[in-house]
Amino acid sequence: MNASTFLVLAASMSMSATAFAAGAHSGGHGAGSGEPGQGSDATRTINVDMYDNYYEPESIAVKAGETLRFVVENKGNLVHEFNIGTPSMHEAHQKEMQMMVEHGVIKGDHIDREMMEMDMGDGHSMKHDDPNSVLLEPGESKEIVWTFTEKADIEFACNVPGHYQAGMYGDIEFE
Amino acid sequence: MKTRMLAAIFGGLLPMAVTAAEYDISVDRVQIDTGDFVKEGIGYNGASPGPVLRFKEGEEVTINVTNNLDEMTSIHWHGLILPFEQDGVPGISFPGIKPGETFTYQFPIVQAGTYWFHSHSGFQEPNGAYGAIVIEPEGREPFRYDREYVVQLTDKHPHSGDRIMRNLKMSADYYNRQQQTVGDFFAESGEKGFLATLQDRMMWGDMRMMKADIEDVQGFTGLINGKGPEQNWTGLFKPGERIRLRFINSSAMTYFDIRIPGLEMTVVQADGNNVQPVNVDEFRIGVAETYDVIVRIKDEKAYTIFAESMGRSGYARGTLAPKEGMTAEVPELREAPLLTMADMAGHMDHGDMDHGDMSDDDMAGMDHDGMNSDDMNGDEMAGMDHSAMGHGSMGGGDGASMPEDPFYARGSGLVPTASNGGKFLSYADLRAQNPLYEDREPTREIELRLTGNMERYEWSINGVKYEDADPIVLQYGERVRFKFVNETMMTHPMHLHGMWSILDVGEGKWNPLKHVISVAPATTVYMETEVDAPGEWAFHCHLSYHAASGMFRKIVVEGGPDSTVAEGKPSGTQGGES
Repeated sequence: MNASTFLVLAASMSMSATAFAAGAHSGGHGAGSGEPGQGSDATRTINVDMYDNYYEPESIAVKAGETLRFVVENKGNLVHEFNIGTPSMHEAHQKEMQMMVEHGVIKGDHIDREMMEMDMGDGHSMKHDDPNSVLLEPGESKEIVWTFTEKADIEFACNVPGHYQAGMYGDIEFE
Repeated sequence: MKTRMLAAIFGGLLPMAVTAAEYDISVDRVQIDTGDFVKEGIGYNGASPGPVLRFKEGEEVTINVTNNLDEMTSIHWHGLILPFEQDGVPGISFPGIKPGETFTYQFPIVQAGTYWFHSHSGFQEPNGAYGAIVIEPEGREPFRYDREYVVQLTDKHPHSGDRIMRNLKMSADYYNRQQQTVGDFFAESGEKGFLATLQDRMMWGDMRMMKADIEDVQGFTGLINGKGPEQNWTGLFKPGERIRLRFINSSAMTYFDIRIPGLEMTVVQADGNNVQPVNVDEFRIGVAETYDVIVRIKDEKAYTIFAESMGRSGYARGTLAPKEGMTAEVPELREAPLLTMADMAGHMDHGDMDHGDMSDDDMAGMDHDGMNSDDMNGDEMAGMDHSAMGHGSMGGGDGASMPEDPFYARGSGLVPTASNGGKFLSYADLRAQNPLYEDREPTREIELRLTGNMERYEWSINGVKYEDADPIVLQYGERVRFKFVNETMMTHPMHLHGMWSILDVGEGKWNPLKHVISVAPATTVYMETEVDAPGEWAFHCHLSYHAASGMFRKIVVEGGPDSTVAEGKPSGTQGGES
């Protein structure tokens, strides 16, 4: 990758990460998807396994106001994401993920973390570290603690290009 | 999802659905009504296309095929991995099925996905003898969808296959309606100047080819599941659903560029094998290929499935609609592409013509060695192939601003573009979802030059027609790298029976498994094959009239897991039929 495409990518990624984080935290996108939770508030632990290209389970029941701990493990052969958001948030995030693939940050079964961590100036990087999502290589496992503050149209989804469209999403069902 | 899928099957495909593990198929004379014309043809169980056969991975199927014709017939299970005696190629796998006889096929189903079946005798397939195969996997599908449809395309011609072959032999451009005319000549002279235009025409005349030689059999009506554009095959859906479309190109000769205006398609399978999903606006389906796509329709309106032939001489049309009878706009055919000098480079390179101002040497470096680099994406791809080709001296300038695709010659007139300016699928986008074989170095390379004499309508491999050729002998257990060098100006969909074709897209273990490898004019394409199926197999261009006129080989696999099968078997006669 040459210097100019790298800069374009950095600028656009950092911009989108900011916009995305704002949406996730403030609920400014109309119905929000909730907010990061405290581990001590979690009422249950849900194990989510990621395969190529689907989740198990494909539906999770929650109560409004509930905080859950998700233990997400990638049992597939490809990079996958677990991202909690509304359908429109996922759609917006898919464009960014497309760019990450096009620029080689995500390549099939591995993530170029060095490139993601690189400091782009102004404190921005291509880090995929929003609190509502984890991006995992095959074999990796991570946790998310999330509070579903209010009833909303929320899906968990993998926004690696094509995966969501092929059916790698699940529903958060409010009881 | 399950119940809805069943509803779709019973609602849409009931007359064609077969559910038991034992199947009866009759081969019959049928009427084929395209909406444009009615033609007698050949079908299965009284209809063309025949039934959708639904198998389950892991089951053993028994299929009784009864020949009600007054001529020999056969059924080839296209893309299925099976014992060679069950492959259905007369003269190679078995003698064929005589009139009045019932032949019983029996084989295990060892794969899943979308495939098809067709006659391998004479021109019965172009005359209507084809149907679809859908194999449900043992485990779950790695996708989610609410319903599914088979979308099987063909290029139904008012002439019978025999008649088309005779006419092509008499005059290779018999069915080429898009020949350039004297009027074109003067129009072009106005743009490019008289001498340049004259020179261009003389050069193409020397080649015995025309710029419009993209489809050598025009005048067909495109069908979807047996229905012409006016008859408008329709698949129903409920808004919000995800729909899996199983596209199968059962054409004799026609590649289609497929789009559904207003919808993005996610390609999840190619030739029956799952691929890492790719979002596209449009894709090209070669003859005998299959692509499965998933679309999601949120609103309550109709969408047109529009399949334009690659040479824009015809189209197939269907509709996805929330209610029967709803339709959407049918786009106009786009302008026909013209072949460029780049497309004839392979031909030039090996021909005996001398064009003083064209540098043969410059044009020789047209293979895709650069494709083995790690990164096939985006900008890095553009500069890495064909760079040795000198356009400077050719004067044409065709395609200087055309998009790049490493599977077309640089500057080719055939490079497809999406009608909405978006993403058009390339072979370079295909990655296996779950590689079947370990990646390893090939044990040897076999070069197959795809050759032909357009004027005599003779097609061949390495300059030798099937009837004059020795079989290609492979050893069980080897991994062979095939190098296709297309020296003609036509695109050839090469089909190896019995074993997978691993298309080299430069991605190592992620290279996708296919059963048809399309090779564009003046390109070199590599595929590798794990030789894991003993016996004798067919290997040919899947364009019906190319296969029949010689672009065909028999493959003999010597040895086997127990070293008794096919070992040292003499090659025998070359009686295979296409």
